[in-house]
Amino acid sequence: MESELKIDPRIIEEFLQINKNILDAPKLVAAPDEISLEMTPYDVVYSEGKMRLLHFNSDKQKQVRTPLLIAYALINRYHILDIHPQKSWVRNMLDQGLDVYMIDWGTPTKMDRYLGFDDYVNSYMDNCVDFILNESSVEKVSLQGYCTGGTLATVYTALHPNKIKNLVLTAPVIDGSKDSTVVANLAKHMDVDKMVDVIGNMPPEFMYYVFSILKPFEQGLEKYVQFFKNIHNKEYVENFIRVEKWLSDTPPIPGELFREWVKNVYQENLLIRNQMNVAGKVVDLKNISMPVFTQVAVGDHLVSPECSMPIHYAVSTEDKTLRIYATGHVGMIASSFSQKRVLPELGQWLKERSEK
Amino acid sequence: MYFMASSEDYKKSIGYYKHVSLFWTDLLSLMSSRPHSLLSTGPLRKFGVNAKKVNTEMIEINQELAEFNARLSEYYKQLTDTWNEAQKQFNKKVPEIPTDTEHLDSTKRIWIDIFENYFTRLFDSPEFAENFGKMVSSELELAKHWNNIISLMMESANMPTKKEIDELYKELHLLRKRVAKLEKIASIGGSANGK
Repeated sequence: MESELKIDPRIIEEFLQINKNILDAPKLVAAPDEISLEMTPYDVVYSEGKMRLLHFNSDKQKQVRTPLLIAYALINRYHILDIHPQKSWVRNMLDQGLDVYMIDWGTPTKMDRYLGFDDYVNSYMDNCVDFILNESSVEKVSLQGYCTGGTLATVYTALHPNKIKNLVLTAPVIDGSKDSTVVANLAKHMDVDKMVDVIGNMPPEFMYYVFSILKPFEQGLEKYVQFFKNIHNKEYVENFIRVEKWLSDTPPIPGELFREWVKNVYQENLLIRNQMNVAGKVVDLKNISMPVFTQVAVGDHLVSPECSMPIHYAVSTEDKTLRIYATGHVGMIASSFSQKRVLPELGQWLKERSEK
Repeated sequence: MYFMASSEDYKKSIGYYKHVSLFWTDLLSLMSSRPHSLLSTGPLRKFGVNAKKVNTEMIEINQELAEFNARLSEYYKQLTDTWNEAQKQFNKKVPEIPTDTEHLDSTKRIWIDIFENYFTRLFDSPEFAENFGKMVSSELELAKHWNNIISLMMESANMPTKKEIDELYKELHLLRKRVAKLEKIASIGGSANGK
């Protein structure tokens, strides 16, 4: 009895090649710990607690006087907006002649567990805005918020509308009841009070779990197979390691802020209903009367477009633009697509509405 | 169903054990005029008193473990059932694994797509989120008892407990806010005075 298994020799060849690539990998690629994610040079112009305000250096001529302040998300660090010279959101904005500042929320420790929306919005953000207004001798800034930074930017603008010239919201978390993502599903069933009372800050391990179930086979398996397949493609692996390092750099979220965020946005959905309260003041989205530019991505599996888009209809301004892009949450801010489509549109929009 | 019944039985027996344990600890303590107080002085006397509380926490940890195990089993059951369903669907779509490289690549793509769809549907479901939420909640209960035990130990050693440190953090947070507010008022006053 003889049985013959016919296998394409190319499969064996490919298998052996991947094995060789795995062995070669350490010789070809730097370890995540060995690389720095800092890209575009900046100065730390203001700091408060763990928060830092970064002012990016540029050799390009400024085309507008109104500075752009970017409020990064609460999850992971700001580096994704400046991850690679060819995919950098910050560098693109600088190249378009804008003066760019960014808030780095830092890494909160147990000591920061009582920081809430009031501290983030009315202290950190407001002090950063005041600093920039003073530095740039202008009356208003343009404010951009990405992801949960979009929630903070929305709340800030509703409470301090007189300081904001233009509001840019990139995949903002606004209407939790309409969010169809796994993140929203888990957030709605979470005993957030118990979590904060027992462990204080929201630990990064919990976020890693949430990330791991977003696209478990594509992100947990296939991504690494592709990495080893492409190990000789210098640009590919360099970008891969940088993004991986960014993904694994998840600071905890201050307990009170996390509690307020989950309750107000996901569980009780108060923000979009103009019922959210910050330091005794109601966050009325109708106060947002300046130009608003909202960017959403159809393939966003972290913040679904249905969750972000309601802000476009909730604000009182007549000058509002909604752009829906055929990409994902990170693709919208750090990809060749964002460089070609998203950023030129935003730069143009900002320049038309900024002080010259 | 069988699991739920056995989990209920487990809870009942632990509850009974807790009751019996506390009953005899208390009664023996009363009957013997608190023998630990005779044997211990100073901080050790405090530990003698706290030992009973540690015992109670340990029993409650066992009670919570029953809930956690039930939720964890359900969690793995949901994952396993979904895996089996996805595999069945894959077998239906690809009855035979191809042996040439082009078809193998497209087969892998089909496998990933099917599994991704099935698992995303699971993670999006209220049943998964509800069980996961309760599992995390029971984990937090375990953590809470563990914190309580550590706090009792710290208290016995005359060191600050987690609760006391949290109070300090809160106090510090409020102080920082007050200082920031005062600084703002002072700076407005300062510029108004032309300083």
